[in-house]
Amino acid sequence: MSNKEPVIFTIGWNACINCGACVAICPQEAGFISAFDTIAVDRPCDIACLLCEDICPVSTISHSPANLTSFAR
Amino acid sequence: MPDSQYDLVIIGSGPAGSTTARFAAQQGLKVLLVDKRQELGAPIQCSGAVSRHALEEVGITPDAEFIHEPIYGFGIYNEKGDSTVIDYRRLKADEYGPEEGKKPLGYVVDRRRFDRYLMTQAERAGVEVWLKTEGLSYKPGSNGSCEVFLRRFNQEITVNARVLVGADGLQSQVGKWAGLRTHIKITELASCLQFIVDQVETEGLLEIITGHEWAPGGYAWVFPKGYGYAEIGLGVIPTMTDRNAQWHLDRFIHHSFFKERFKNSRILEIQGGGVPLASPLRTQYADNLILVGDAARHVNPITGGGIHTALSGGYIAGNFLAGFLNQGKAPTAQNLEGYQNCWLEELGNKMWKLYEVKTEIFRKNDLAERDIQLYQTMASYFSPDSEYKKI
Ligand SMILES: Cc1cc2nc3c(=O)[nH]c(=O)nc-3n(C[C@H](O)[C@H](O)[C@H](O)COP(=O)(O)OP(=O)(O)OC[C@H]3O[C@@H](n4cnc5c(N)ncnc54)[C@H](O)[C@@H]3O)c2cc1C
Ligand code: SF4
Repeated sequence: MSNKEPVIFTIGWNACINCGACVAICPQEAGFISAFDTIAVDRPCDIACLLCEDICPVSTISHSPANLTSFAR
Repeated sequence: MPDSQYDLVIIGSGPAGSTTARFAAQQGLKVLLVDKRQELGAPIQCSGAVSRHALEEVGITPDAEFIHEPIYGFGIYNEKGDSTVIDYRRLKADEYGPEEGKKPLGYVVDRRRFDRYLMTQAERAGVEVWLKTEGLSYKPGSNGSCEVFLRRFNQEITVNARVLVGADGLQSQVGKWAGLRTHIKITELASCLQFIVDQVETEGLLEIITGHEWAPGGYAWVFPKGYGYAEIGLGVIPTMTDRNAQWHLDRFIHHSFFKERFKNSRILEIQGGGVPLASPLRTQYADNLILVGDAARHVNPITGGGIHTALSGGYIAGNFLAGFLNQGKAPTAQNLEGYQNCWLEELGNKMWKLYEVKTEIFRKNDLAERDIQLYQTMASYFSPDSEYKKI
């Protein structure tokens, strides 16, 4: 599963309906969750299966390669 | 801190958690029920259809506080719009109906009010409830109890429990804390979207529209919501379509055989969620821990309904744990397997059977054949002589 490059997810909050489906499908370890009960958006996902993007009823999750994203703000 | 010692700590106050709590407390257990939300049931991730006997079975009297509208039967449609109507007002006219002395078959409930009502009943039975309290993790100890780590209004709190109950719903983390295999396959999680609408007429029936054409891998529905409102929704299996649930719902509303009926519909609320059309978890227990409700995938794999099974699961779990702990047994994984065995016997074995029926249908590669089977299975599932009436 994890031979993919780590990604960081971005959620378009305007469309998110807080349905929790992304968390339900996520194979990550416990706690890979944002403050808004979606998958985490503040740290890289090393599994990168992207199932959360598939399950989202309003397609509001996207990703970019983690190594291109700066966490230092 | 002797006050932080509980028999049960329950994470999640949905139907499963509050019912487990109520039955355990009624039998003398000291119970802490926590939920991270500020308002239970919100944001709504559910359509709220539940049978009357599911409520009565667990001692809940149908109450105007949480009922949107009474239900008297079902309308099952195939992809072309042909239907099987199962209206108990006609089938069993002396028993079911809106008149004095007759009763509804079930209800569409408001999950915000329903979950609050169930929590209140638990509280009145002696349960301590903390809202705005998130379960973070747990650690089994050597003395037969475990530590449960919570965050309540930003404050970190540790409490002790003999058994931790994970009733934290579909997004369950508690099972993961214990290393249980909780993963749902993408082929078995329906991605759902629903609109509460004005200007769509309903007739006291739960309407279910089958067919790959409208909802690949799942089905669409039209439910009465009270005050003249209706709910239109659907669930799709992501691997069976290139589009999302939103696209399919839009298409269903504007292009299906119901497009005339929906023509003036106005959206009042938007909700969604995931529905597991999966088997129950094979292992729902660990040292000092059990899972109940959606967290254990106690969901009907044909209908996606999980309120009834959450209530019944809570009843089974609460009674089992009370009997178990009152006898002074050690809550080891080995001993807690008894809970799962109880559950399988009363409910689970039937759910496994339904799962096989469902799997058989979706194993068919021929879509037309699959459509026919799903339509027939739904129609017979809701008929008065279905063997599955109990769930
Ligand atoms: C779109 C949709 C429509 C549905 N329609 C129906 C229907 O018509 N009929 C039906 O029977 N079923 C329906 N279901 C299924 C039903 O909603 C669920 O099966 C049911 O809610 C399960 O109850 P539960 O108590 O197990 O979990 P939930 O109701 O999900 O409750 C879990 C609770 O745990 C809390 N929680 C989670 N994590 C934590 C944590 N770490 N700390 C503290 N609290 C936590 C949550 O805040 C929540 O209150 C539907 C589901 C969806 C998505
Ligand atoms: S699946 Fe999509 S809509 Fe649902 S909570 Fe996650 S990001 Fe939001």
